[in-house]
Amino acid sequence: MTQGDRTPDRESHVLRVEGLAKTYRADASEVAAVRGVDLNVRHGEFVALTGPSGAGKSTLLHLIGGLERPDRGRIWLDGRRVDGLSEARWAMIRRRSMGIVFQYFNLVSTLTVADNIELPGLLAGRAPREVRAAREELLAELRLEGKADNTPGDLSGGEQQRVALARALVNQPTLLLADEPTGSLDSKATREVMRLLTRCHRRGQTILLVTHDARVASSADRVISVFDGEIADDVTPDGSECGPSSAADIVRLRG
Amino acid sequence: MRATARWAFADLRTHRGQALSIVLATAGITAALLLSAALLVYAANPWQRLFTTTQGAHVWLRTTAAADIGALRKLDGVSALSGPYRTEKVTLRHGADKAAADIRATGPTPPQIGRPRLAAGHWRVGPGEIVLEKSMATALWAQPGDTLSIGAGGAEQRVRVVGVAQTAETRYAPDSGPGISWASPSVVRSSAGASLPTGQTVGLRLSDPADTAFMVQRAVTAVGSDQVVSVATWQEARADAEGDNHLLGLLLLLFGVGALLAAAIAVTGGVSSRVLAYGRDISVLKAVGFTPGQIVQMFLIQHAALATAGVVLGAAATETLATRSPGQLSAAMTLWQGLPEHTWALPGTAVTTVLAIAAATVLAAWRAGRVPAIPAARIAAPGRRRMSGAARAVLRWRVPPALVLGCRGFLHRPWRSAAAVVRLALPLMMIAVALGAWATLDRIQHHPAQVGLAGQLTVRPSGLPDDQIRELLSRQPGIAAVEPGIELAALAPGQTETVTLRGLGTAARPYPFAVAEGRAPSGPAEAVAGQGLLDALHVTVGSWVRVTVGGTPHVLHIVGRSIEMEHGGRVLSTSYDTLRVQDASVRPSYYAPVLRPGARSDAVRQALTHASHGALEVRDSAAPAEQFTPMRGVIAGLVAVLALITLAELSTEIAAGIRNHAADFRAYRSIGLSPRQSVATMVTSIGILASAAAVTGAALGAWASRWLIDLQARHSGVGSGLAVPPSWAALTLLVGTCLAAAVAACVLPVRRAIQEQSMRALRTVQ
Amino acid sequence: MRLPLMALLANGPAHGYELKQALERLFGAAYPQPNIGQIYVTLGRLEKTGLIRGEDVTQSDRPNKRTYELTDAGREAVAAWFDELSHEPRVRDEFFMKLALAPQTRMADQVSLINKQRRHYLNLMRAMSRLAAEEDQGNLISQLLIEGAILHLQADLDWLERCQEELE
Repeated sequence: MTQGDRTPDRESHVLRVEGLAKTYRADASEVAAVRGVDLNVRHGEFVALTGPSGAGKSTLLHLIGGLERPDRGRIWLDGRRVDGLSEARWAMIRRRSMGIVFQYFNLVSTLTVADNIELPGLLAGRAPREVRAAREELLAELRLEGKADNTPGDLSGGEQQRVALARALVNQPTLLLADEPTGSLDSKATREVMRLLTRCHRRGQTILLVTHDARVASSADRVISVFDGEIADDVTPDGSECGPSSAADIVRLRG
Repeated sequence: MRATARWAFADLRTHRGQALSIVLATAGITAALLLSAALLVYAANPWQRLFTTTQGAHVWLRTTAAADIGALRKLDGVSALSGPYRTEKVTLRHGADKAAADIRATGPTPPQIGRPRLAAGHWRVGPGEIVLEKSMATALWAQPGDTLSIGAGGAEQRVRVVGVAQTAETRYAPDSGPGISWASPSVVRSSAGASLPTGQTVGLRLSDPADTAFMVQRAVTAVGSDQVVSVATWQEARADAEGDNHLLGLLLLLFGVGALLAAAIAVTGGVSSRVLAYGRDISVLKAVGFTPGQIVQMFLIQHAALATAGVVLGAAATETLATRSPGQLSAAMTLWQGLPEHTWALPGTAVTTVLAIAAATVLAAWRAGRVPAIPAARIAAPGRRRMSGAARAVLRWRVPPALVLGCRGFLHRPWRSAAAVVRLALPLMMIAVALGAWATLDRIQHHPAQVGLAGQLTVRPSGLPDDQIRELLSRQPGIAAVEPGIELAALAPGQTETVTLRGLGTAARPYPFAVAEGRAPSGPAEAVAGQGLLDALHVTVGSWVRVTVGGTPHVLHIVGRSIEMEHGGRVLSTSYDTLRVQDASVRPSYYAPVLRPGARSDAVRQALTHASHGALEVRDSAAPAEQFTPMRGVIAGLVAVLALITLAELSTEIAAGIRNHAADFRAYRSIGLSPRQSVATMVTSIGILASAAAVTGAALGAWASRWLIDLQARHSGVGSGLAVPPSWAALTLLVGTCLAAAVAACVLPVRRAIQEQSMRALRTVQ
Repeated sequence: MRLPLMALLANGPAHGYELKQALERLFGAAYPQPNIGQIYVTLGRLEKTGLIRGEDVTQSDRPNKRTYELTDAGREAVAAWFDELSHEPRVRDEFFMKLALAPQTRMADQVSLINKQRRHYLNLMRAMSRLAAEEDQGNLISQLLIEGAILHLQADLDWLERCQEELE
């Protein structure tokens, strides 16, 4: 059980965060969603953020993705300082180097699946032919070939999340952010999505994932527990140290 | 950007129905605007109408007999010639009236270019026959059948008037050169005088009317400047004719601009509501990487494309179909298409409409750029307030809950509701202004005496002594009283132009002037002045003025301001007796009989002519009715445009209301309101909005129409006091129609929305 | 029962009845009522093994009470107990006991206890996932057993979160 690496080697860090904080003010009450978070993510790492609801995990993810402005703190993405950027610059960073998947409402309801997936590619200025090829490849990998012309309304929840993942990956982003991607899915769909994520991870994709699901969290390289806006624990789970080696052991455990 | 365009058009494909309706609405508005413009040009520019229909010549040259007209034919830029016509300058006499005139020799058929338009009689002139130009005929009190004498240098000829025609040349006025008439060559020859040289008149039609000044120079050079007697251009003729029509012209222009503004506001509202309906999709797109600028761009692309399609469709339809439609519309369109301004006016209108819509879209879509990038974030709705004590009390009194909830729904967000009321009231206000203009037109047309137009009949003394004429007139049963009158051209001190001095009525029986300020003249040396005169002489009511008529001074005390529709308002009116006192040589130049109420002018006219055995000349006063019908057409067209805009705004409000209260419908179901009651709450809300807007718009519009028309009247010299606000009946009709339309328009969508809500609730329960 | 009693004695000496009251006060109605006889028996055994030391206290109007206190060996045993990891699921109770007693004894910190347990569960979870992948997919019984364990682990992790929320 090692702690997260605190002495950064600048070049190999995809994401570096120092002292990030955000407070929400609504009608004379204040909620400090994130207080003073430090975080480093290396290339190819799969990091999971867990914690009770309201702990600030989603807010932290939004801050890292530039969807919200932090009150304090600094963020470096691939060595570049990004926390003070305008909304338009953030949008440009997102389209090229980030893929974002939310729990709900990932897709533009008026566009077809094909258009939805191709949109970030077109935004990044790639040739339409190239983008179309990437889209077809992703759809094949996700086993959604026939659905290219459907609208999101025709798809099930799991299929929508897979399409959302394809959309997030079409530009092979530096960092994939996912906010409870399996939160509204049944177990079968969850397994599908997890399989996809692990496959991407094995190909070298850096992933930062917020989740409630311990199984999902345990498949990550690092599990960071967020509690009350701060990082409470930073674990690298290692399943080899302990645990049963066969089903018989499990029976004994439960007995 | 490719991505933005891809999104824009994919979205249009998804909402095909909506896109189509927007295109059609824009086309409708464009067509209506263009038609109104055409009718406006038609209505406000009778001279232009005349010029186009008579194929007028742009330049009229009066030369000596020896001038070489052939040189003009070869000039570059001259597309056709009218004439040359042998011309003589003569004096025409009809009884006591005389006028200087040019007679042009003409053939049996009217010429191609500069073809005079017959107003009475026929053109074919035989020996001893003459056709007069209209203003000449008016000045000489001549009609077809009258005999005039031509005197030139001594020998007198008698000719008979066989026709009266109109041309697009400068009208006749006593002090501004000879008038125009046509006769057969034999008449012209025999009227040649020894002292006045024979001449020629030729008209030039130019291929580029804007180049007139240059062409005049070249023509004069070609003929030889010593051979040219006078030159007249079409611009002078137009300026001469145009003095009187600014009143409604400017008003209607203001109207068009206002309609465009209202349309822009309606578009803003429509786009805003679409932006709100998008909400979540915009967040997703921002998360994917669209910048706020690109989001605004997308809406701009969409709406600019739709607007362009609509405008092009509307313009094309108008251009091709309007000329085939019946009645005045086709005449107006044909006229307008013939005008040089048409080439830039049409694309100008189209481009302006598209730009206005684009600007409105950008303003509204700017909000879309501010939507947060997190799809699940709820757009912060302000806290709901508890129901006020009043509402609760009212519920206790068993007022239908639908009513109370509907009211509350409307008053809940006061600023938003106020903004909606203002947006809806704007086109309604303009409709009320249009109704005011219509009412004023009615007043001018049906009660001319109230607006300073002379009585319906004018009688000209033709040699009979005054008392005999008065006796003849007073004997007529249809005539209530007889007013002697005279109009003189007077010089005011320090003015190089003339004003008109009018003497009407006697001390015993004063003429009922249409007095707007002060009082009518009652004592000696008292007068009322038109606004134009007050402005020209820089005096106010209560001052003394001194004007001279041919050397005789008249000193008058201005005791009031009257509404003057003629002569640009530069009229000083007093009683005939006052003038007589100050200048004994004054004789009445006409009589204005005051008809009894209910007497018809043509009946009285015929009776008079019969009773005097033709000795009396009776004439209908200038009836400007014919110029009003196209104006009414313009007003109707603009009202149609504004009604369309109002409907568009209403449907936007209804859609927004349904979206904002969607959540409330479920709550209503759970507290026990039946679907019908839920519909009733929404309808009440919309009904209150529509009534508030209609009442505000009607009230403001009634006041504004009065103010605008009076303002314009004041500036054109006619004088304020002309305007009449729309009648109560008209305003009530406006409010009622608006309310009925609002209720009718919202019942179906609301019912559908409520059904959808209950379906959704059922699904989640399952 | 042995170690909780020893942990209570870490505060200071007490006799059997006081210990019973302390347990009741601590756990209230949620925990089965400690049997006073069982407590005395346990105390006797502990004394015999030298982990606690007993002393009689004379009372005037009552039979003599025996007060116990913790020996050094006993103290070490309690420290070791706190340091130990609980492996079995049913050990949850033991874990919770540690959690409840930690602030009183000032020998361990609640947050670090929770963190340690969570790490352990995560490791277990990972091992389970690997096991499920390696195990024969057709063997439904073992797959279901593994699934059951994973679900329990999930529940335990959720509970740990609750504890952290409530106790901080």
